[in-house]
Amino acid sequence: MLGIYKVGLIIAVGLTLLYAFQGFYPDFIYVFSNAFPPVIAGAAVVTSGLSLERYWRRAKGPFSTVWFYFTLGLFLWFIGEAIWAGYTLILGVELPYPSIADAFWISGYIPFFIGLYVYVKLFGHALTKKAVAITMLVAAALTILVSVALLTPVLKTEEDLTTIVMDFAYPILDLALLSTAILGLIIFWKGKLRKSWLLINAAILMNACADILFSYTTAKDLYYCGHMVDVLFDLAYLFFLMAFYVHTKEF
Amino acid sequence: MVTQRTEVLKKALAEAIDEGLLMLGESGRDVIYFRLKQSYALKREDVSSNPEIFVNCLREIFGSGAEVIERAVIKKLYDKLGIEFKEKKRLRFHGISKRS
Repeated sequence: MLGIYKVGLIIAVGLTLLYAFQGFYPDFIYVFSNAFPPVIAGAAVVTSGLSLERYWRRAKGPFSTVWFYFTLGLFLWFIGEAIWAGYTLILGVELPYPSIADAFWISGYIPFFIGLYVYVKLFGHALTKKAVAITMLVAAALTILVSVALLTPVLKTEEDLTTIVMDFAYPILDLALLSTAILGLIIFWKGKLRKSWLLINAAILMNACADILFSYTTAKDLYYCGHMVDVLFDLAYLFFLMAFYVHTKEF
Repeated sequence: MVTQRTEVLKKALAEAIDEGLLMLGESGRDVIYFRLKQSYALKREDVSSNPEIFVNCLREIFGSGAEVIERAVIKKLYDKLGIEFKEKKRLRFHGISKRS
């Protein structure tokens, strides 16, 4: 079991260093930052699919339903990553945002949210009303904070309405996922499933930070393929992959 | 007489555990039985005689989430014994099984 954490740590540190020293190999980082996300997202889909297969094998139950939605959500994100890579590496589009890839990324949030919701709801009675209320308040406060922080840079640019909507949609959807995932973490904190839920929370947090920074840097015209922000997206997939692997090992 | 009553209770508890665990699905239930055997050397048919171990196993995996499974088992047990189940805020399996 420790092996997965060691491998995960090595990959995470390796990726961060690779992006940190990108000044020495700008051409490589351009290709890598576009080609690697579909690979790691694909690996996350496969891991999630293997969990689905494990829970589905005997009979349908709540866990097979949860993993069906997780796998579907990750698969839609994988398609989004593949389309982005196709735009940048094959068609030579500098920044395909917004594009058809966003339709897949945005739609991926729906099954992912359903999966999290079904899982948390199954054990919902273990939550106190106070815990739910505090989590919801924190989520609402963060949503307001992020929206206010993005308001000026996004509205100051001459971006079209679709781009503006996307700039706000991703961080808000991430926070919706995060608030549900935090409830899961509270429920399983004292159990072995804590490790898996910590990784799920870390993955969603990475995605939230990445999406906020992506919206900010694209609005400020600072984003380019290979920007440090991209490492956060890669780490999010890595953490999802690890979370699903650890979950099947623990339960 | 006492032994007969104990046997009836054990049988009802074994069935309640079996059915209550179904909230995790069949595969989830099998995982719990597998864990009980692997980590506590407790066979499926012996679980009702060792409810503390069963509860410990659930808490070890699910943390506070174990309460929900315990509640499902208690509900099934009440049904089987023909007792009306009343929702209580902190209904724990350990207390119930001791009382039984």
